[in-house]
Amino acid sequence: MESLNLKLLEVCSKCGACYHICPSCLNLDEGYDPRAVIKDILAGQYEKWLSHKSIWQCLECHHCLEICFQHYGFENAMAAMRTLASKKGLATTQVKRGWDMFIKTSKLGEPAAPARKKLGLPEAAKSGAEDFKKILKIYQERKV
Amino acid sequence: MKDFTVFWGCTIQTRFPFLEKSTRMVLDGFNLPYRDIDGFTCCPEKSLVNNIDHGLWVLTAARNVALLDKAGVDLVSPCTGCVSNLATVNSELHLDNKEKNKVNSILNEIGLEFKGKNKLRHLVPFFHDEVGIPAIKNKLIKPFNGMRIAIHYGCHMIRPSHALKNDDPLDPKKFDNLIRAMGAESVQYMTKLLCCGQGLDRVDQHENALHFARLKLKELKALKVDAMALCCPSCYLQFDNNQFLMEKEGEKFGIPILYFTELLGMAMGYRPEDLGLDSHRIEATDFLEKWQRLNGELAKTTELNRQLEEGFGIAQP
Repeated sequence: MESLNLKLLEVCSKCGACYHICPSCLNLDEGYDPRAVIKDILAGQYEKWLSHKSIWQCLECHHCLEICFQHYGFENAMAAMRTLASKKGLATTQVKRGWDMFIKTSKLGEPAAPARKKLGLPEAAKSGAEDFKKILKIYQERKV
Repeated sequence: MKDFTVFWGCTIQTRFPFLEKSTRMVLDGFNLPYRDIDGFTCCPEKSLVNNIDHGLWVLTAARNVALLDKAGVDLVSPCTGCVSNLATVNSELHLDNKEKNKVNSILNEIGLEFKGKNKLRHLVPFFHDEVGIPAIKNKLIKPFNGMRIAIHYGCHMIRPSHALKNDDPLDPKKFDNLIRAMGAESVQYMTKLLCCGQGLDRVDQHENALHFARLKLKELKALKVDAMALCCPSCYLQFDNNQFLMEKEGEKFGIPILYFTELLGMAMGYRPEDLGLDSHRIEATDFLEKWQRLNGELAKTTELNRQLEEGFGIAQP
């Protein structure tokens, strides 16, 4: 996640048009409202959201991005919260598991060989796991 | 048509290899110039990798795109998430030279360079734009005339539109055009563009994921549609598997979930079982029976009209 543009978020806090198109805002009975999160981000009081399940309820459907006249939307604020939560070890169990698998294997699962054979599918192409390991190492070294 | 490779993605190859089967069958049926290439990794999944490390998300996707630059082929994918992720990074790097150079300084170490010169397309808009409706109509042996099908686009087939640039992001039409070209009615419904909600299953919120599946399935049950059509493994998981789980608990919907490639393959005359329909958790028995019956009637009317046309001009008084 890149840094948040607080100037754009300031406008978001006064607009909220995407509230009326966001699937989670419209359909989650327990209530989901990124406007509250954005207000807290602008006030510097976002800490409480990092352990809140709301920040994982953005479906990244990009509806907010499409209708936003700033081309910004809720999703950037929610993604920022998820990035910070992950840094603090507050990501959900499945996210942690998925991340570990991705880092170790470069994928989120391997081709199911017996099923492929049964279906008469050709052998799956080789993955790029080896090259991924190399670039991951360089990336991590440069980041430090 | 330019050669292309198919980006299968992790979910199809791990969980739903029969979706790869039907995709290959229709690509072969149209004699399309595709080939597999080695070296792809996860696209990678935005909601997982980008949330934790944006830089690594960009680098990994850029590496996949760089493999296309090296092979000189376009990319087509039957997974909406994969295309959307790759296209988003592709677009980001085209707009940010500094970031592109940074990424390339790492990719150069493994002999690759991101240029982003090739097209990245989802299978549905690809069939619509590249294969084309007339060619599809020419291939139909058993069309779906009289069948009522509800399309679920899947968010990432069309959004974010600045990266995908393939349809109207809030009022898409291409999937509808394809379903109609196959003879079926594309049933319009209130929750048509609602997100499937499968993402919630990946963040330990299973009940909320079911809640989303229910919203759409309930409406489609009330509308008595014959099937839901989609072309995304994640949406497929949500509506086939989660529908099955709810049915096991006593909530009946009975909506078969058919992949675009399965529908096209069936219309082209391939047998449903060869296309992998027996691997679905929600059975399509009623759908298949109705389709069979309507095709029988269609054949009779076609024969009647043929005889009428043939007779014209002969039996003059």
